[in-house]
Amino acid sequence: MDSLTRLDDIHQNRIRLSKATVSFDDRFTLREIDWTITPEQHWVITGPNGSGKSALAAALAGIGDIQGGSIQGLPNNVEIVSFEVQAELIAQELKKDDADIMDVISLGTPVSEMIFDHCQDTELAQSLVEKFGLSTLLDRAFRKLSTGETRKVMLIRALANKPDLLILDEPFDGLDVDTLAMLQAHLASLIDTVPMVMVLNRFDEMPDFITHVAYLDKERKDKERGDRERSGKQRGDKGRLKLTVDRQDDAAFNELYQLLHLKTTDLSVPEADPTNKLPALDPSQPLVKLTQATIQYGDTVIVDKLDWTIERGQHWQLSGPNGSGKTCVLSLITGDHPQCYTNDILVFGFQRGNGESIWQVKQFIGYVSTNLQWEYRVSTSCKNVIISGFYDSIGMYTKSTDSQKKIADQWLALLGMQDRADQPFNKLSYGDQRLLLIARAMVKHPPLLILDEPCLGLDDINRQLVLALIEKICQGSETTVLYVNHHAEDQISGIEHYLALEKNH
Amino acid sequence: MANYFNTLPLREQLAQLAQCRFMHTVEFADGVEALKGKKMVVIGCGAQGLNQGLNLRDSGLDVSYALRPEAIEQKRQSWKNASENGFVVGTYQELIPTADVVLNLTPDKQHTSVVNAVMPLMKEGACLSYSHGFNIVEEGMKIRDDLTVIMVAPKCPGSEVRAEYVRGFGVPTLIAVHEDNDPKGEGLALAKAYAVGTGGHKAGVLMSSFIAEVKSDLMGEQTILCGMLQTGSLLCFDKMIEEGIDPGYASRLIQYGWETVTEALKYGGVTNMLDRLSNPAKIKAFDLSEELKVIMRPLYNKHQDDIMSGHFSKTMMEDWANDDANLLKWRAETAETNFEKTPAGDVEITEQEFFDNGILMVAMVKAGVELAFETMTAAGIIAESAYYESLHETPLIANTIARKKLYEMNATISDTAEYGCYLYNHACVPLLADFMKGIKSDVIGKGLSLDDNGVDNARLIEVNTALRSHPVEAVGSVLRGYMADMKKIV
Repeated sequence: MDSLTRLDDIHQNRIRLSKATVSFDDRFTLREIDWTITPEQHWVITGPNGSGKSALAAALAGIGDIQGGSIQGLPNNVEIVSFEVQAELIAQELKKDDADIMDVISLGTPVSEMIFDHCQDTELAQSLVEKFGLSTLLDRAFRKLSTGETRKVMLIRALANKPDLLILDEPFDGLDVDTLAMLQAHLASLIDTVPMVMVLNRFDEMPDFITHVAYLDKERKDKERGDRERSGKQRGDKGRLKLTVDRQDDAAFNELYQLLHLKTTDLSVPEADPTNKLPALDPSQPLVKLTQATIQYGDTVIVDKLDWTIERGQHWQLSGPNGSGKTCVLSLITGDHPQCYTNDILVFGFQRGNGESIWQVKQFIGYVSTNLQWEYRVSTSCKNVIISGFYDSIGMYTKSTDSQKKIADQWLALLGMQDRADQPFNKLSYGDQRLLLIARAMVKHPPLLILDEPCLGLDDINRQLVLALIEKICQGSETTVLYVNHHAEDQISGIEHYLALEKNH
Repeated sequence: MANYFNTLPLREQLAQLAQCRFMHTVEFADGVEALKGKKMVVIGCGAQGLNQGLNLRDSGLDVSYALRPEAIEQKRQSWKNASENGFVVGTYQELIPTADVVLNLTPDKQHTSVVNAVMPLMKEGACLSYSHGFNIVEEGMKIRDDLTVIMVAPKCPGSEVRAEYVRGFGVPTLIAVHEDNDPKGEGLALAKAYAVGTGGHKAGVLMSSFIAEVKSDLMGEQTILCGMLQTGSLLCFDKMIEEGIDPGYASRLIQYGWETVTEALKYGGVTNMLDRLSNPAKIKAFDLSEELKVIMRPLYNKHQDDIMSGHFSKTMMEDWANDDANLLKWRAETAETNFEKTPAGDVEITEQEFFDNGILMVAMVKAGVELAFETMTAAGIIAESAYYESLHETPLIANTIARKKLYEMNATISDTAEYGCYLYNHACVPLLADFMKGIKSDVIGKGLSLDDNGVDNARLIEVNTALRSHPVEAVGSVLRGYMADMKKIV
């Protein structure tokens, strides 16, 4: 680029990526991105899972290692909200917890400190705290928040910092309907003050003020091999910026829409492991029976006297605003919540707290949630992640059988991830990790399949694949599905029972 | 109370010291059966107390917490920990008389008062469990004859005990039965079931004795584990400053260097740690460590002798009685050292660079591990115990220095370890003064500056043979083999 253009860019506050190649450790490389963002534009980055949407967003926040080309004109004050940053914050908090070898339990950083320390605009932060309904949670430890609540804290931090560039990676995932509308309205009020770049997996969620779309795609394998021989250095997957579309251009915009809505092919769910049968359940008993279930921290009541019976073959959808205790209720069933011992809970014939172990309970459950994904921080291969579903473990601690390996291969094929069987799980993108964890939950054909916002982080195509899989499973007789989601359009045919939780605190 | 070890005849002392074996998975076939339906009452709700309790309950066992009345009335943190997690909480008077097993998970220093308060309340034939044998072996606490006394000690911090269990795994655990208190012969069955309940059997269980655990644990923690790392940190840092190395770099090299070089130790023993060096650097490190071993051997012998005779615990208990005057003084002195006060600089040091520029640190770890192992085995401690309390635990302690330097290390380890660490450090720093005069930045800070990496074949073979034939390497490779069988399949 000649110096004149550069001066021009500075004058115009343009952000310009010129043949920028950015690598993220060994996991991912963005290849030769040419892209210009001018101040009055608002972009959405989209593309299939693993194409580098989050990577491109992160690159704008100065994350990653520029290996070629250049990124010019990034403002100083950039704010990014993403799952990766969220996961990192949680990991930091967990690390503080690790520091308890002094035999003291660490309480973690309170929400108020997360929000108000180093805050540019306290007043704005204060009003956002109220709008997001976090006022009652200010004293709570950050790591004790629910998924949606942590997300809200991140959003408030970013917005109250008055950034010159606002990057929002999947800002709407995990938010309840009311919060979503409020956030969209707030963002719309900012369009003249700050350029925004959003990563959206759901094309339909694109706010009206978006002016441009960037579409990324994975670099094809055969080409990649040639490249690797030449560069010899970059490993992992690679993504390219395939096209940019001005929203005014109807023809190009429709073409992109088509591209993102491919039909899912005919599916068949891989069989359960014939060599390892679960103990038989008493058909006369419900799968789950909660009686007056209550969860309480100090004086704060999260779940209040809930009665809920799940009969075999009764598929349920659970909904409710963020913080209404959805995840808490589920963890009473899975045995992950310590207060499951102070409640009247009957699961799979076990009256909890009578000498059964959690492994006896978990063997009947397949489970996927955002918390699980955060906890799945061990380094193991993609194939082992699926197989670990047979053992209900995070990581593998036992040798797997041939039959389990065969089934895992079938799942990998179904997800189109055969070639990544032996790759380390923790180097995959968030969406690809999610797909594997869904397979892990389904692999043993559990009597109860709990899917807590399973589609979080999935692109349109994979979301359709997962929803189709869930429908298939609902049609079968062996698995009862318990499904949690916020998105009205993600209805599953076959689910006829609904439980809506309300916020108590 | 008299030192229990000193009341035993020599043959019995030796027999007790010689206990330690890695248990086979089939020995845990009965699971938690021996504890099923029994009432387990935990005393102390810190990180170990709470997390062990959570695991035991999730394994189907009946767990509750006995706290002091003040802790309950004032709703202290320990009360919150237990009650928010849905446990029954009560006073000693309320819960201890109902207990089949009492789990004493309080700090060493409180053991005498806790056990004196609890013992009269315990029902006939119940079991008292410890996680460290100091109270029994060194303080000579005499437990009522009808009570069974066992030890179950997960070799990791409490948060990890829980995190590994939740993943479906566990942490390595040491168990023991106090032979004077096993009236019904059920001690081993209870200890095994307890280890299963916390998930320990999945990661490997060592069967030891109270005496072997205490005498080897004390020796390891005060010499190689904490003492050597503290002394080495201070000496290496000051030397680098003297040699004109950037303080931020020097601070980072040490703070994270111990962790990096001992990671190699964990995977492949002293041999692998030295194999990470170039051939000339390896020979240099070997020579330095031989020199260090000659200088420090009398100090290691003195520590072991004082531990065996009970002199160490006697002086430490005198300090306890004197409001920890010495301990607190030393703690304050450590906080004022240059290394502690200089933050790690914002420079990147690659993994290999920690080895290349930290040759002296590698030499110190090697010398410390080998001396501790040699001294322990010479004193009658079996090789397996000596391995675990020297080489095996070094990376765990190095990790605490990486977090927040010496302060974190000393805060993390027990008061007993901290006291021993200071004794060692005070003797070792002057002991190495002359040695350090000959040290330049080529072995700490900058790395060897050589035109080529050539070495004499005969000398290299000599060094490699010496490294590989040290007895700590023989027992280490066997034990690491067992552990690898149980390790996570990555």
